[in-house]
Amino acid sequence: MDEQLNRGSAPMPEVLTVTPSPHVRRKGLKTSVIMIDVIIALLPATVWGVIAFGFSAALVVALATVSAVFFEWMMRKLMKRPMTISDCSAAVTGLLLGLNLSPSVPWYVPIVGSAFAIIVVKQLFGGIGRNIMNPALAARVFLMMCWPAAMSDYPAAFTYGADAVAGATPLVALKGSALPDASLLDLFLGKTGGCIGEISTLLLLVGGVYLIVRRVIAWQIPVCMLGTVAVLTLLFPQGDVGALQYMTASLCSGGLMIGAIYMATDYVTSPVTTLGRVIYGVGCGLLVVFIRFFGGYPEGTSFAILIMNSLVWYLDMLTRPKVYGKNRKKGGA
Amino acid sequence: MKKFTFRRGTHLREHKDTALIPTERLPEPAFVSLRMSQHIGAHATPVVKVGDYVKIGQVVGEVTQGLGCPIHASISGTVKEIISRRNATGTVIQNVVIENDGKRALHESVIRREGTLAESTTEEIIEVVRRAGISGLGGATFPTYAKLQSAVGKVDTVIINCAECEPYLTANHRLLLERGEIVVSGLEVVMHALGVTKGILAVEDNKEDAIALLEEILAKRTPFRPDADIRVCVMKTKYPQGDERQLVYALMKKEIPAGKLPADIGVVIINAETSAAISRAFWRGVPLVSRIVTVTGDCVVNPRNVRAPIGASVQDLINFCGGLKETPKKMVSGGPMMGTALWDPETPVSKGMSGLLVFSEEHDRVNTYHTNCIHCGRCVSHCPMHLMPYYLALYAKSRNYDKAEQMDAMSCVECGTCTYNCPAGVEIVQYIRVAKGNIRAKAAALRAAKEQQQK
Repeated sequence: MDEQLNRGSAPMPEVLTVTPSPHVRRKGLKTSVIMIDVIIALLPATVWGVIAFGFSAALVVALATVSAVFFEWMMRKLMKRPMTISDCSAAVTGLLLGLNLSPSVPWYVPIVGSAFAIIVVKQLFGGIGRNIMNPALAARVFLMMCWPAAMSDYPAAFTYGADAVAGATPLVALKGSALPDASLLDLFLGKTGGCIGEISTLLLLVGGVYLIVRRVIAWQIPVCMLGTVAVLTLLFPQGDVGALQYMTASLCSGGLMIGAIYMATDYVTSPVTTLGRVIYGVGCGLLVVFIRFFGGYPEGTSFAILIMNSLVWYLDMLTRPKVYGKNRKKGGA
Repeated sequence: MKKFTFRRGTHLREHKDTALIPTERLPEPAFVSLRMSQHIGAHATPVVKVGDYVKIGQVVGEVTQGLGCPIHASISGTVKEIISRRNATGTVIQNVVIENDGKRALHESVIRREGTLAESTTEEIIEVVRRAGISGLGGATFPTYAKLQSAVGKVDTVIINCAECEPYLTANHRLLLERGEIVVSGLEVVMHALGVTKGILAVEDNKEDAIALLEEILAKRTPFRPDADIRVCVMKTKYPQGDERQLVYALMKKEIPAGKLPADIGVVIINAETSAAISRAFWRGVPLVSRIVTVTGDCVVNPRNVRAPIGASVQDLINFCGGLKETPKKMVSGGPMMGTALWDPETPVSKGMSGLLVFSEEHDRVNTYHTNCIHCGRCVSHCPMHLMPYYLALYAKSRNYDKAEQMDAMSCVECGTCTYNCPAGVEIVQYIRVAKGNIRAKAAALRAAKEQQQK
């Protein structure tokens, strides 16, 4: 009888697949898709950096990205682990590192940086998801210690390697308690000197909005971080400048914007709870301002984020949600 | 209208395409295979012998000790064999196989009730439910008589769970549309048994036609007692709305304390189809011998709801629904979020089988992608129990079950929301299940050691 009813029907397979539930997954949600979204969000700022600084900028970004992927491949091979370059996380690390370098650095600097980021900070800790610090930021700080001069020599935008005297970057001016030479509008649009990817506040914000709309990043971290910096610089402007102008210049200068939107929000090194993300964002903002006001470097974003990275586990445990049906939180961690 | 909902959870693609197709009765299968355990609790023991003639509604398996439900013949015919078979999860259980004689003869014990609801006592109703072998038909299969027993004197509200929050499944939806009055009648029986006046029919807002119909039925119906307050509550469509803890929170903004039952905060929750089964058992004397199964999935030619006798094989269901379009890769009993994958097309329909999903290779995206956990926090922000699932998975992976217990692994309801939303493809909920199993085993070992000492 079965055969009669079943005529024309496809056969049962010899073996049916058995897996634990759930048997469905959210469509289009993959680590690689998230990473590609980050790359898409960074593209406008990258293109702008290349327009502003020319071929040298393109070379730095390309060297950083390609070498990061290469080191990821090399390490996975050496450690005899499953290949992970297709998750695109190494490309994101390389791209972020490249965007955080001056366009005038020698060719070996981005390569050494990528090697440090991927080999030491990422793969030696177990690869994607296991690192305790943001690899691109850690590599940037490493490079700043290795080549302090090259890392803080920024050509002005649209001079294309001509022998123009590089003026003080906006951050150095702010450090000297003065407003930068460039107008606030130029700062916002990105017509000043600085790292390849950090100069255009506008384009970085556009990418940030894309990431928030695509639900790739949580808005709490960038909003709290930038908000804290805004409030503190508004309350305590340095030198004889208007508070509002000082605040705007601070927000649009240096690596703050790229740091708050793309680096502080790195999943692996940021908290998972909403409250944890708020505390983390505020903490990053506080440290940025402290370092900019009182530290030895003009730029504080890298250090601020790296310091907060080290608190992520603690913040997660501190802000554990109250479990349904439990009266109070139990001691965590 | 006010819509009720709970915190967190996730929106799923519904795939409820079978909601518009009427339920059909499965033609009598040639054989049925009655598993002796279709409920939580002790296995039943066969009380018939090979060669016995049995009729519909006759007890073929009885539980003599502890929690459990009797099993009834779902067709009339001859007991062909009593064999041990592996069920979907690998446990070997006895099955009574009956060969159909096609006569559909009813057993003598199946008799209509004469008299009114008001005449029957609590004990009588609970005994009817127990003898009818009714267990939770939503999938959890907890014996309903035990649930009612534990609720006597403690509850003031009876909730009928018509949320049906799992994708694909429409069995409850069709039941409400086609037999809404029986569901309401079952609710009244339970309310009378427990002596309560408040009854709620909780329906998700993706079943607008069913909501309207229920309102109509309630408006027309004379209440079984003058002070009865039965109403329909509409809930937002979100997974896992049908989990009893989320249901209670949505409706009354109260949490069920960890390790406690809904009865401990004054409610008893019963699935819509269970309610209909209670009504049939009480008024018509028919024990639980059939249930509605949603047969769907991209491999099925004519997806629809089928009322199938318990014990009919999955292959019977597929044949009745027009066979297969293409060779399936996976078959699931229940919903796609919490259902069990089947390995054998001869698996019999059991009391807990609310759906049969047949998926092709293309549809099955499970285990195709995997990276380390990237700490994105999606599992945390969606967990309806407000756990930190990836930490639990991390501890389970490193076999640190004590730590997992400290992080409230035992509160996990295994709804699968975390795994569904994981970009890295980590089987989070499965890790937590492993942790829970080990925590339970350890607790049991400790108890045993203590008893040993006391001796």
